[in-house]
Amino acid sequence: MKNILLLEDLPEIRAWLRKLVLQVFPASQISESARVHDAISLVSAVKFDLALIDLGLPDGSGVDVVTKLRDVQPEAQSVVVTIHDDDEHLFPALQAGAFGYILKEQPRELITEQLQRISQGEPPLSPSIARRVMAYFSAKAKPQPSTLPHVSLTDRESEVLLRVAKGYTLPEIGVQLGLSRHTIADYVKQIYRKLNVSSRAEAALEAQRMGLFR
Amino acid sequence: MPRLPFHLVHFLLCWLLAGAALPAAAQGLRITSALAAEGGGRAFPADAPARSVALPDDWARTRSGSGGPVWYRVGFQATGLIAPGELAALFIKHACTNLEVYLNGQLVHSGGRMDEPLTNNCNHPQLVPLPEALVAPGLNTIDIKVVGHRLAEVGSRARSGGLSALEIGPQSVLASQHAWRTTLNVALPQAIGATLLLMGGFMFVLGFINRRESHLAYFGALSVGWAIIDARLWLRTLPLENTVVEFLLCSMLAFITLAGVQFLLRYARWRHTLVDRLLPLQCALMPLTLVLAGPHRLHAVASIWYFVLALEVTAAAAFYLRTHWHTRSRGFWLMAAMLSALALAGLIEFFAQQQGTRPVAAQLAQLVTPIMFVVVGLRLVQQHGRALQEAELGKAHLEQRVREASAEIERNFRQLSELRVEQITERERKRIAADLHDDLGAKLLTIVHTSDSERISTLAREALEEMRLSVRGLTGKPVKLADALGDWRAEVVNRLAQAGIEGEWSAPDDLPQTLSARAYVQTTRILREATSNIIKHSGASNCSIACRVAEGDFQLVVQDNGEGIPLELDGRLDRGHGMASMKHRAKQLQGQCLVESGPGYGTVIRLTVPLDRALEVQP
Repeated sequence: MKNILLLEDLPEIRAWLRKLVLQVFPASQISESARVHDAISLVSAVKFDLALIDLGLPDGSGVDVVTKLRDVQPEAQSVVVTIHDDDEHLFPALQAGAFGYILKEQPRELITEQLQRISQGEPPLSPSIARRVMAYFSAKAKPQPSTLPHVSLTDRESEVLLRVAKGYTLPEIGVQLGLSRHTIADYVKQIYRKLNVSSRAEAALEAQRMGLFR
Repeated sequence: MPRLPFHLVHFLLCWLLAGAALPAAAQGLRITSALAAEGGGRAFPADAPARSVALPDDWARTRSGSGGPVWYRVGFQATGLIAPGELAALFIKHACTNLEVYLNGQLVHSGGRMDEPLTNNCNHPQLVPLPEALVAPGLNTIDIKVVGHRLAEVGSRARSGGLSALEIGPQSVLASQHAWRTTLNVALPQAIGATLLLMGGFMFVLGFINRRESHLAYFGALSVGWAIIDARLWLRTLPLENTVVEFLLCSMLAFITLAGVQFLLRYARWRHTLVDRLLPLQCALMPLTLVLAGPHRLHAVASIWYFVLALEVTAAAAFYLRTHWHTRSRGFWLMAAMLSALALAGLIEFFAQQQGTRPVAAQLAQLVTPIMFVVVGLRLVQQHGRALQEAELGKAHLEQRVREASAEIERNFRQLSELRVEQITERERKRIAADLHDDLGAKLLTIVHTSDSERISTLAREALEEMRLSVRGLTGKPVKLADALGDWRAEVVNRLAQAGIEGEWSAPDDLPQTLSARAYVQTTRILREATSNIIKHSGASNCSIACRVAEGDFQLVVQDNGEGIPLELDGRLDRGHGMASMKHRAKQLQGQCLVESGPGYGTVIRLTVPLDRALEVQP
């Protein structure tokens, strides 16, 4: 049995998502919330396995919930469920620790499939997000303060990212590199993890700096 | 220009020295002793005791306390001295203050007024023609009546009474000597005095107007003052008693010293309130002491003052040289040379005052001072001119800089405005995008997931995608062609794969070109439409998409192996297939969309879109 957090402000969509989640994870316990504030309270109180988090909410951004969840329940899986498909909205959420994202307007079947994939450790990765991740890590390749833990992508991970950016699907990349689909998914998972670790270290350092110079 | 004063001085000195050699070559009878007796009247006093005196006779030495008039009698033999038919003349180099000449008892020459105020002939050499009718063949007697002033009553020994040696000879010979002496004593001082007056006046005005250049004003005052004192040398008749004239001349020196000292100090860029106050005080104090001492002690008091004033000027000169020693520029050496020459002239004048004689050196020294003033003046004017020129240049430079700065400010302002417009546009875009997403997006989404009708749900989903694409087009940011291809490939190949159609995508690697945001959005729509058509209508099992860049255009060819668009249904199906809208969109981008189709041959869609020309040159 899974304990699932569902953060969505639109009642109809929330109901629809709930139905959908129950289809994928039939015996799960779903905690619903429509506001960031309530979700953060829930996160502190209840232990979750999975959280579906909308980004644009009346009282703030879902990214805060992703961050909070990452801090207090690192083993819980955050999935961004949003209407925004652009990397400007998605990237901060991924940096905060979201493990994948789902675009709300997609057909039910597609979302079901994606949700299943994510829960199996196969998060989606669009070309624009891949480009953004590549840009992030190549900027980091430049000289950095030595206090930062050095997180960089392996050659294989970079290779996978580059191909995703060019529009190849994960199975295609698997064929091109002579690797199983599962291995490619592992690379993607690793990329997500590194992005989060690196971003968090940076954020911590930034906070420290602000503290020092205040 | 800087060499000119040197040449001028050089030429003048050479000329003067050449003239100085002239008297030695003159022929004639030189008379160096005479019978002298004091007394007025119109003839050599018969009753007064006469005694033999040596000429030149300087009253200050030989008859201190006496103010004349003094009669001198000399005799000469006309025979042998003057050839028959030639005019004889008497040349008197120096007779102070005035004289009358009698030949054999007949008045033959008068220098002017013989009683106060006397005509001043101290500087005027006298050439007295001796009329042939009055010259006796044998012994002739010349009586010279000289009126003058006691040394005690004059400020300078050159103005005290006396008579120089006499020369009698042919007029033609003596005339040239007289002319040279006149030039040296009168004409040159006049010319230099006039020059000093004009230049000094000009510089005074210049310095007065331009207070930062106060040294020019002081130098101008110095020059004018000196010119006034010099004027006395050749200004023979003044309606003033000797006492008054001497008092004025001596007092004038205090003012000249003030000007000189202040000039040197200001020129050395130094001023002090104490000096500024003491020097004018001195100008009042000196006349006061002269008045208190009275006319009979004028020379004594004035001499003390001369010494004090000379010390002040020397100190100022030393100060100037010391402060400017570090530069040792050409200007410095010029000033040093000038000051040395002035010091030398001052020394010669000092000894001449002590000795009582006035050798040629003393005469020259007296000329050197104003000449030096002229040279220094020219130098100062030159400096001022150069400074003016530099100021003009500086001004021009500054104006240029101001123009450049203004242009830059304008440019920056323009850039800032553009940036501001961009920022506002960006903010607006974000606001509109957020509004669209939050409001319209949420509603469309609700329709997508709550509608029972598959068609409505699909339409709402398409509307949502359209909306999202529109928002993206709002950014106006050009998209890299390579990135666009990545996005398109992911979308098209995924959709075809989900529909069970094999997709073949071929595109060149590493395309540096860019597409405008509009072109990106419209091409995305066209491609999306074409993909939808293939999935919905074609029944194809295979679809190839080929992209290439040629002649500044982006070309996309979508080919399927489906049933094609039936010819007879072309017009009717067009609506559903959205061919018209695809063509319309391509046209909007100045591109074109061609559709080739035949039953059983599948469909080929050829899209040509111009690349973002404005940006493709940038790396």
